[in-house]
Amino acid sequence: MIKQLLKMSFVVFAILQITACSKSETITAPVLTVSTNIVKDLMADTVLGLTSNGMPYSAGKYTFFSLENNAVVANTDSATAKWDLAFMSTRILTNGGTSGPALGGAFIYTGLFDDLKTIPADSIFKTDNAPTYAITTGSGKGWYTYDQLTSLITPLAGRVLVIRTASGKYAKLEITSYYKGGVTLPVSASDAEKLTKQRYYSFRYSYQSNGSKVF
Amino acid sequence: MCKKPIILFFFIIPQCLWSQVGFVKDTLFAYGDSVVVTATRSERKLSNSTVPITLINAQTIQQTGSIRLTDILKEQTGLTMTSGFGAGVQLQGLNPDYTIILINGEPLVGRTAGVLDLNRIALVNIKKIEIVKGPSSSLYGSEAMAGVINIITDASVQIPLAASLRYGTYNTKDINLNNALASKTINYQGFYNYYTTDGYSIRPNSNNRITTPITRLTSSQQFKLNLNAHANILLNARLTDENIKSNIAVSNGGVTINSNGNEHNTDANLSATLNYHFTANLKTSFRSYLTNYISKQDLLTLSGAPYNDLLNHLFKRIENQSDWALSKKLNSIFGVGAVWEGVKSSRYDSDKIRKENTIQYGFTQWEWTASDKLIIIGGIRFDKNATYASAWSPKLSMLYKLNQYHKIRLSIGQGFKAPDFRQLYLDFTNAAAGNYSVFGSAQAQKVIGQLNSLGQIGGLYNNYYLLKALQPESSTGIHLSWEYTPLATTFLSAQVFRNDITNLIEVQQVGTYISGAQIFSYLNIGRAFTEGAELEFKQSLSNRIVLSGGYQYLITGDKDQIAQIKAGTVYTRNANNMSARLTMSDYVGLPNVSKHKAQLKINYSNEHGFFANARIIYRSKWVVNNTNGNEVYDNGDDFAPSYYSLHTAIGKEYQNGIAIQLGADNINNYIDAIHLPNLAGRTYFINLKYQIKYKPLK
Repeated sequence: MIKQLLKMSFVVFAILQITACSKSETITAPVLTVSTNIVKDLMADTVLGLTSNGMPYSAGKYTFFSLENNAVVANTDSATAKWDLAFMSTRILTNGGTSGPALGGAFIYTGLFDDLKTIPADSIFKTDNAPTYAITTGSGKGWYTYDQLTSLITPLAGRVLVIRTASGKYAKLEITSYYKGGVTLPVSASDAEKLTKQRYYSFRYSYQSNGSKVF
Repeated sequence: MCKKPIILFFFIIPQCLWSQVGFVKDTLFAYGDSVVVTATRSERKLSNSTVPITLINAQTIQQTGSIRLTDILKEQTGLTMTSGFGAGVQLQGLNPDYTIILINGEPLVGRTAGVLDLNRIALVNIKKIEIVKGPSSSLYGSEAMAGVINIITDASVQIPLAASLRYGTYNTKDINLNNALASKTINYQGFYNYYTTDGYSIRPNSNNRITTPITRLTSSQQFKLNLNAHANILLNARLTDENIKSNIAVSNGGVTINSNGNEHNTDANLSATLNYHFTANLKTSFRSYLTNYISKQDLLTLSGAPYNDLLNHLFKRIENQSDWALSKKLNSIFGVGAVWEGVKSSRYDSDKIRKENTIQYGFTQWEWTASDKLIIIGGIRFDKNATYASAWSPKLSMLYKLNQYHKIRLSIGQGFKAPDFRQLYLDFTNAAAGNYSVFGSAQAQKVIGQLNSLGQIGGLYNNYYLLKALQPESSTGIHLSWEYTPLATTFLSAQVFRNDITNLIEVQQVGTYISGAQIFSYLNIGRAFTEGAELEFKQSLSNRIVLSGGYQYLITGDKDQIAQIKAGTVYTRNANNMSARLTMSDYVGLPNVSKHKAQLKINYSNEHGFFANARIIYRSKWVVNNTNGNEVYDNGDDFAPSYYSLHTAIGKEYQNGIAIQLGADNINNYIDAIHLPNLAGRTYFINLKYQIKYKPLK
C-alpha cells in the first residue's frame, strides 16, 4: 500500500516535473491560425530504477498531451477528448480507434518539416488498432531506430508525424530527441545514463487551429 | 584437436591482408632480387612480377620484434587492423572476410563473423610473407576478393638448433624452440612456440579485460623427402592450441550481463605435396591438405545460466598444378582441384549435423614475355559449387619496363567471395540481448514459416519475400602502379586502384516476433566501391641508415546510398538537431574505413650486428556508428578519433650465436578502449636468443 502510494506520488511528481520542464514559444506563423511550438524533455514513463535481478522498471503509465493547448493532460482524463497524443517509452498513441474515444489518427510523412506546407489530399490517416498503431512502432519502421550495439534510440531524420487531433484538426510534428537534454546521448555514455536519461521526448510541432490541412 | 591418427600439422590461418604497393621494400638494398610465388602461383623474380607485391622478410619481422601476424601487418602501408571477433585485417577498405590467409599456399579456416583472428598465427620459422592486393589474386578462388596473404615458412634447414625467450609487459611470455636436421634424402625442420599473457584492462575501475588471459601453444613439423633428381615430397603439420579465460559483458537496453568462462580453440593443419619434374620445362605437383578448426566456449553468466558455443570447421582439398614452359617466351599453368568442407556449429539448427559444401575448380594461366620490356599474364579460374552459384574469375596483368628506372604495372581482374556457412545456415537467437534472431538464407523461409504457423510471427517485411539462394559476392578491380628507382639508394612507388563490388551480402531485417523482437537474414543487396592511391618510398641515408614510409588515401562508398543521397531522399540532422537533406559533401562512405593512413620507419644497422629502429603509424578518424537518424554514414555520426602510435626496438647479435633485443611499443601510450581494444597502452619487452651457428650436413 505504501509502495503504491509512493509510486503514485512519484507519478504526480513526474507530471509536475513535465509541466515545469515544458516550455513553449510561439513563432510567427505564415497563417495566424498556425502555432508552432517546441517541447523539451517530455517524460514518457521514465525508468525509475532496477529490480533486484537487474531489469529496469517504470510506472507503466502514459503521458497525455494536448497539441491544441501545448500542455500535459492529467491521466484521469485518458478517456476524454482532451488529449491528442499519449507517450509511453517509444510508443505514441493518437486519440482514436482502440486508444481513445475521439477523432485522432496519424501517418508518417517522409520529408522535411518545413517542406510539408499542405497535407496531400490523397493522404490516408491511420487509426490505432492495438497492437498496431497509427504511429508505427519498431526500429526503423516508424519514427526511430534502435541500435542493438549501442543501446541507443535515435529519431529518424526526415520523418514528420502528421497528426489528426482529437477534435479532427491537423498538426505536423518532428521528434528531435528521446533523451533528457534534447540531444541523443553519445555512444560512449554509461549504461546507467542510457537507462535513466531515456524516454524524454523533445519535439517541435505546428498546429492548425482552423481545421484546414495547410500549415 | 584433430582426431585422425595423424601428426597434427599446423598451418594457421590468419585473416586477411592485402598487398599493395609492389615495392621491393625489404629487398631493395640488401637482398637483391627476391623470388615471389603468390601472384602467379609460380616462382618469379620480384622485378618481373606483373602485379605489385608487398614482401616482408624474416629480418624485418625479427627486427621489429613481431611475434604474432598482427604485429607486422599493422606496420604495412594501407593495412588496417580491425578489432571485432579477434584481430582481422582490412585491405583496401574491404572487411577481413575478403582476404584469404595462406600458409605455404594452403588456406586457413575458422572465422568468427567472417574474421580470422590473426593473433592465432605465431611468427616463428617464417621465411617471408607475401601480400598481393586486389583482383590479381583471383586464381585463389573464394575469399581472395580483396587480396591474399601468403606466409611462407623457412625450409632452409640452416640452423640446427635455436631457442629464444621473451618477456614483456602484462606478464607476457613467448618461448621458442626451433630445430632442423638434414641428410641427403630427408630434411626436417620444426618448431615449438609457447605464448602466454595475463591480458590487460584499459578501462579504469573495471575487471573486464580487453585482452583476456591467453595461453597458446603452436607446433610445426616440416619434412622434405628427396626421392630422386626429379621428385620430392613435402609433409607439413602444424597445430595451434589456445586457451582463453573469458569475461564477456553484453549490454542490451542498458542492462549488462557478465559471463565468465573459458574458450578453447584448436587449429590443425596437415599437408602433403608431391613435386615431380619431368623436364626442365615441365613439372607437376599434387597437393593434399586437411585442416580442422574447433572453437569451444563454455561460459556461465552471472545469473547462473550456462552459455555454450561450438564451431567446428573441417576443410579438405586436393589439387594438381602443372607448369609447362612452351618456349622461352610462353609459360603456362594448368590446375584442377576439389574441396570438401563442412561446419558444425551450435549456432545452426543442430550442432550434431555438419553442413557441407563441395567445390570443384579448374584454372589456367598464360604468361607471355613479349620482349625484355613487356610481360603479359592472363588467367582464369572456374569454381563449381554445390550450395551456391558457380563463379568465373578472370584476370589480366602486365608489366612494362620503360627503362632501367621506370616500371609500369597494370592489372584488371575479377574475384568473388562465396556465401559462407553462417550466411547460409545460421540459426541463432541471442537470449543475452533482446532475443533477436538471425537465420541463414538457406533456411530462413522454412524456419520463419514454421514459426508463423505456430503463431509466433508478428510481421513479415518485404525483404522476407525477396529471400532466395545467395549468389557469391563479386568484385572487379583495376590497379595501376608506377615504380621508380633512380638510384641504387632510392625507391619510389605510386599506385592507384579501384574495386567495384556487387551482390554484397548484408544482414537485413525480414520480420518481427509477436514480442517485437527482430528477425534477420541475409540478402544479396549491396553495391559498393573502394578506390584510392598509395605511395611508398625507401631511401638510404648512409650505408647504415635507411628511411622508409608509406601512405594510403582511401575513398569508399555504398552505391545505392549515393543514389539516394543524390535523389534527395536521405536526411540528416543539422546543428539545431532539426532534419535536413544530406548532401554528398557530408557523406562518409563505408564504416571503419580511414581516409588517410601512413607510416614512417627509420632503421639503423651496422656490421657488428647492432640494429635500432623507430616506427610511427598514423590512422585518420573513422566512422563507427550511425547516430543521427539515418541509415548512412555521414559527418554527423559517431567517429573514432585519429591517432598515431610510436614503436621502437634495438638489438645486437653476437658472433657466438647469442642475440639480445629490447623494445617498446605504443610509447606515446595512446589508448582508446572502445574503438581500439587491441591496442594496449605502452608495453616493453626483452628477448634473448641463442642459435647454433654451424651449417648442417647437406
